[in-house]
Order: sequence, then C-alpha cells, then structure tokens
Amino acid sequence: MKELPQYTEDQRDCLQEIVNVAMGQAGDSLARLLEVFVTLSVPKIQTLSPSEVRVALRSFVDSEYVSAIRQSFHDSKGQDGLRGEALVVYGDSSFKELAELLAYDDEELSEGLEQELLLDISNVLNGACLNGIAEQLGEELVYSPPSILGQHVPVEKLFQQDQMRWEMALSVEINYSLEQRSFNCDLLLLMPDTAIDYLANKLDEILEDD
Amino acid sequence: MAIPLLICDDSNMARKQVKKSLPDGWDVDITYATNGVEGMDAIRNGQAEMMFLDLTMPEMDGYEVLDHVKAEGLKSVIIVISADIQPEARERVMAAGALDFIKKPINKEKLVGVLQKYGLL
Repeated sequence: MKELPQYTEDQRDCLQEIVNVAMGQAGDSLARLLEVFVTLSVPKIQTLSPSEVRVALRSFVDSEYVSAIRQSFHDSKGQDGLRGEALVVYGDSSFKELAELLAYDDEELSEGLEQELLLDISNVLNGACLNGIAEQLGEELVYSPPSILGQHVPVEKLFQQDQMRWEMALSVEINYSLEQRSFNCDLLLLMPDTAIDYLANKLDEILEDD
Repeated sequence: MAIPLLICDDSNMARKQVKKSLPDGWDVDITYATNGVEGMDAIRNGQAEMMFLDLTMPEMDGYEVLDHVKAEGLKSVIIVISADIQPEARERVMAAGALDFIKKPINKEKLVGVLQKYGLL
C-alpha cells in the first residue's frame, strides 16, 4: 500500500489561510444569493485516503443520505499540474434547510427543481472557492460544467461508480450558519498524487516569499 | 517610543503577511495572538495600543473581541483584517468600534493606505 502524502504544519497552515480567504468570497456570494448574513467558521482541512473519506464524510454531514455535485478542474500544465475533481457534498437535512431558505415548499420541490437548486448552490460555492484558491496560487484553472454525482444516496454509494483516479483527497469541511439556521457541506478536492506534490511545491514557494 | 502593536490571527501565515505589510521603519513593539482569548490578555496587558484583528478564529472570534474591548472600556485602535468580505461584516465591525476594515489577502499598499488615511504614521 502506498503511503499517504502528508503536508507539513507550515504547508497545512498556508493552505488553510488560502482556503479561508476563498471561503470568505464564497460566503459573500452565498449571502447575496440567499439574501442573509452568513456566519463563517474556520474551515477544517485534512488530507484523507479514499477509505478515510467515507468515514469522515459520514460523521461530518451527520446524515445517512447525501447529495453531491462534481466538477473537474485542471490548469494548463496537463498531467503534471494542478488537477482533480471538486465535490460538494450535502447531508440531506442540510439540503432541506437550504431549500426552505430559498422559499421552496415541499410539494414544489420536485426532483428536477432540486437538481437545479443543487447545481446553482454548488456552482456558487465551488466557483468562488476554486477561483479564490487558484488566484492566490497564481494559477488559471479550467473547469468542466458541474454534474450530479448522486442524489439522496448513502455515502458509500457516492464512490462506487468511481471513474475518478485519485490517491488523496483534500477535505475542506465548511460550516455556514445563516441566522437561525445552519448547514454543513463538505468540499472535497480529489487529486492524483502528482497534483498533491505540485500543490505542496506551490505552497513552499509562497512560504519562502514570506 | 515604540508603539505596542498586537497582531491577532489564528493563521501563522496570515500573521506573517501582516508583519510583512507594515510600513518600513515603523517603530512598533509587536505581540502575536492566535485567538481572541490570547488577544484579550494582550490588550489587558497594555500590549495593544493598536491592533490588527482577524474575525474568524477559534476560541473567541474577532466580533467577540470588539464586544469585550467595548464592555471593559479598554483603549485600542483596532483595524480588522478579514476574509469575510460581506458588506454586512464591515458594517458590524465598524458599529462595534473598529477603526477600519481591510479585506484579505493583505498587502503593504492596503495596510499603509489605511494607516495614512487616519494619520497614524
């Protein structure tokens, strides 16, 4: 078994601050979309192996069933650059909160409408977050259009029809509180080991500048 | 005499970025805090005639620090430096007594600009 690449404490701190700034931008976009004030919390960042991802997801989203959106990204350097899949995963209870906030009522919320809502919110979160990260790294990323990976499926099922090849996930656990409500989602950046090394080098460059 | 300056942010990199953005040759005596609780201790110790304050932190966040400073009647010129770019976040910290609000990522131009604006240099 291949050993999981580990980031140093400095690299992790650097990445956390980069994600923090990106999450602030995503939170602002979400606040504008929902017309509420969004309370941000410190995103929890960890690197996980594929088997650890399932366990971490289950405990974080605190829900048997989840819905998830995927979007692939890459830079112009091809195989050796920064690339991977960004996944936004919601627990079913969190998703219901979001639908209520956007004033959808239960009867109205057909599968089609729900897909639209999932794609819209994920686009805002993913777009702002990935753009924010890329900008600070001095990278230009290209994205595929977002698509639905699973809707109301058990966590285990998400990764079953797994066409993605990835060795490590960078898990960014995000908690947004909206006035009296709160919802969690997990942004997972799934990357092959070449991209993980590439990112580590980028972080080192930023740290050397400081 | 050197100005007691507090830099309060949970990220080591963010603290270094603030330090790097300070005006050249500015005579300050810097204290670092990694959350609001440590920040409050430093303020009570007189180590924060001026302070650069992050909002999103563990233990005690920046909003709570502003509330405590006001409630305890402490004197500190507080400039918030945050990734929370919602217009309402700015309004809230200004109402809570902050002098100004700078959006992250910080750089020398932004920081020096704010200090000049208030005649603090």
